[in-house]
Amino acid sequence: MKRILFLLCLAMGLMNATAQTGSENQDHDFNLLKAALKGWHVRLGAGFNLGGTSPMPLPRSIRAIDGYNPNLCIAIEGAAEKKFAGSDFGLQIGIRLENKGMSTDATVKNYHMEAVNADGSGEIKGAFTGHVKTEVDNRYLSFPVLATYDINNRWRVSIGPYFAWMFDGKFTGEAYGKDILNEDGVKIGTDAYIRDQNPTGEKAEVTRATYDFSNDLRKFHWGIQAGGEFKAYKHLSINLNLQWGLNSIFPSDFGSVTFALYPIYGTLGFNYLF
Amino acid sequence: MNKFFTLTLLAFALAFTSCIKEEALNAECDITGVDSTWLQAHRTSLIGLPIITNDYISFSVQKGTDRTALDPKFYLTPGASISAMVDGAATPANGITRDFTTPQVYTVHSEDGAWQKNYTVAFNYPRPITVCSFEHFALDREGRYYQWFEMDENDMDNPRRDYWGSGNAGFKLSGMAQQPSDYPSSPDPLGVRGNCLKLVTRDTGGFGKGAKMPIAAGNIFIGEFKAAQAMVFPRKATRFGLQLVGGEPIWFSGFYKYTAGEVFTDVELKVCPDRHDTCDIYAVLYEVDPDKFVALNGDDVLTSDRVVSIARIADPGEPQEWTFFKEPFVLQPGKAFDQTRLMNDGYAIAIVASSSRQGHYFEGAVGSTLYIDELRITWSGEDEPTPALPQN
Repeated sequence: MKRILFLLCLAMGLMNATAQTGSENQDHDFNLLKAALKGWHVRLGAGFNLGGTSPMPLPRSIRAIDGYNPNLCIAIEGAAEKKFAGSDFGLQIGIRLENKGMSTDATVKNYHMEAVNADGSGEIKGAFTGHVKTEVDNRYLSFPVLATYDINNRWRVSIGPYFAWMFDGKFTGEAYGKDILNEDGVKIGTDAYIRDQNPTGEKAEVTRATYDFSNDLRKFHWGIQAGGEFKAYKHLSINLNLQWGLNSIFPSDFGSVTFALYPIYGTLGFNYLF
Repeated sequence: MNKFFTLTLLAFALAFTSCIKEEALNAECDITGVDSTWLQAHRTSLIGLPIITNDYISFSVQKGTDRTALDPKFYLTPGASISAMVDGAATPANGITRDFTTPQVYTVHSEDGAWQKNYTVAFNYPRPITVCSFEHFALDREGRYYQWFEMDENDMDNPRRDYWGSGNAGFKLSGMAQQPSDYPSSPDPLGVRGNCLKLVTRDTGGFGKGAKMPIAAGNIFIGEFKAAQAMVFPRKATRFGLQLVGGEPIWFSGFYKYTAGEVFTDVELKVCPDRHDTCDIYAVLYEVDPDKFVALNGDDVLTSDRVVSIARIADPGEPQEWTFFKEPFVLQPGKAFDQTRLMNDGYAIAIVASSSRQGHYFEGAVGSTLYIDELRITWSGEDEPTPALPQN
């Protein structure tokens, strides 16, 4: 992981250095490089991911989203593209190091949950009504394979699948209740409770319970990526992409979260075009 | 750029909120309480408050009250309905008159129609606490843990008296138990006579630790365990005492044996090498307002100014064999027993036993094991208790 990051940083650094000096010699080198790539153009980019890991559509048990923070999510990408001869279409294949994360605070009603404690010795299952805070931070190595279409010299759109390997993931949170006070300001309970097994089970008010499903996350992801790119300068473009995940971040037999959670993120970034 | 960022955020927020679906109908089907007007109308025959669990409601009524035609009325989960089988047909049942010579079953249906739950409703004549042998126990509705009850042999159509509470229903939420004997309170066949009660301080695992309740002492008490409050107010959830007083209590006696667990831990689960676990066995007589019963609980059962007298084993030690104890009820300063108050149901009695004396503060040693059997309250005028078991 650190090595990949280091290499990418090195590449970015080199790119910056060459962009700044821009001497004739280097243009010459570029031409040689371009020739060697047989029509493939190389680009390096960086951007921010902004979005959510969310059920689609939101299940009825989620009653309100009370808080959302996109957190800082960065994508660094290297890609090679080739335009088909005599056409505005092309192909772009990339490798991208990125994280997709967010924090949310939601109000839920009759939300089915199952949880196993850290050492696997205890299991609870039931219907939870109250508040749920979730924090997601998943790191991926992604491989987008995109068809491109040049509208004109400046604008390009692209679409295609991406495949991603999650090498580090975090999915943690807490189920909690807010205090209910009587008219004298004395706490008389909380507005959260779990019912054992199902809505007819024993009711227990909840103050706070944490969970960590980081180890249950799925490693392989895929989805569709689509976006547009604006070439502002000869070597610089700005792009906006949407990545729509098509498999849940948890395996389908995972009982603690009964609905599929899809990572849906937008990327705003820039590219250096060699 | 900044503006763009804000706009995108706003778009996401909107996208989420617009996706919130219409609220589902309620899935719960609880009897949440007994109609206050009905309670008020029957206050002369009722003793204390009805005990309401997840599937059982019991009213304590004055001896001799006519139970053949009673029409209790209940509060339900919003949108839920209640029915009962009358002449073989399901009939709306809130406030209908039924014969409670034997307990009656009501069915509550959830608003969304997907769930229903049966409640057994009983009207009981109180039976003052005498000898508690822990011979009567049954699994809960889901068959996961044991509950104890007394039997009133003078009321053969409706003998069960759910006078005992334990923290088992709370321990269930730790998910740590695989079978009934894994719970902190369980029956054991090797009693002084017949079965006895085995109380063990248990580890509550990751969930318990996360909730700052890392251990669960085995406990049993006369009173009501409010599982719903166990996590929010763990000490208030143990409501000690019921109005089952047969006179002035003189002696609290019985048999016990005890072994403390090896490693004493505090609420943070930190090991305290200089502390050693001990059990707690006591009985408390306290004053109640007959019109507004409020039980003493884990916070104040020994300290409230309503306490009249306490019988407690000061230093139980660790007897490995069955050991007889006999403790006098010691009047608290300024208190005296009042026969008039007794006639007005103005007293409650609690018996409490725990495998870890500081268990209600989540301090103790996992594995501490207390066995108790044949507990007895000797009322004024009865023979002084002896280790010899009464013949029956």
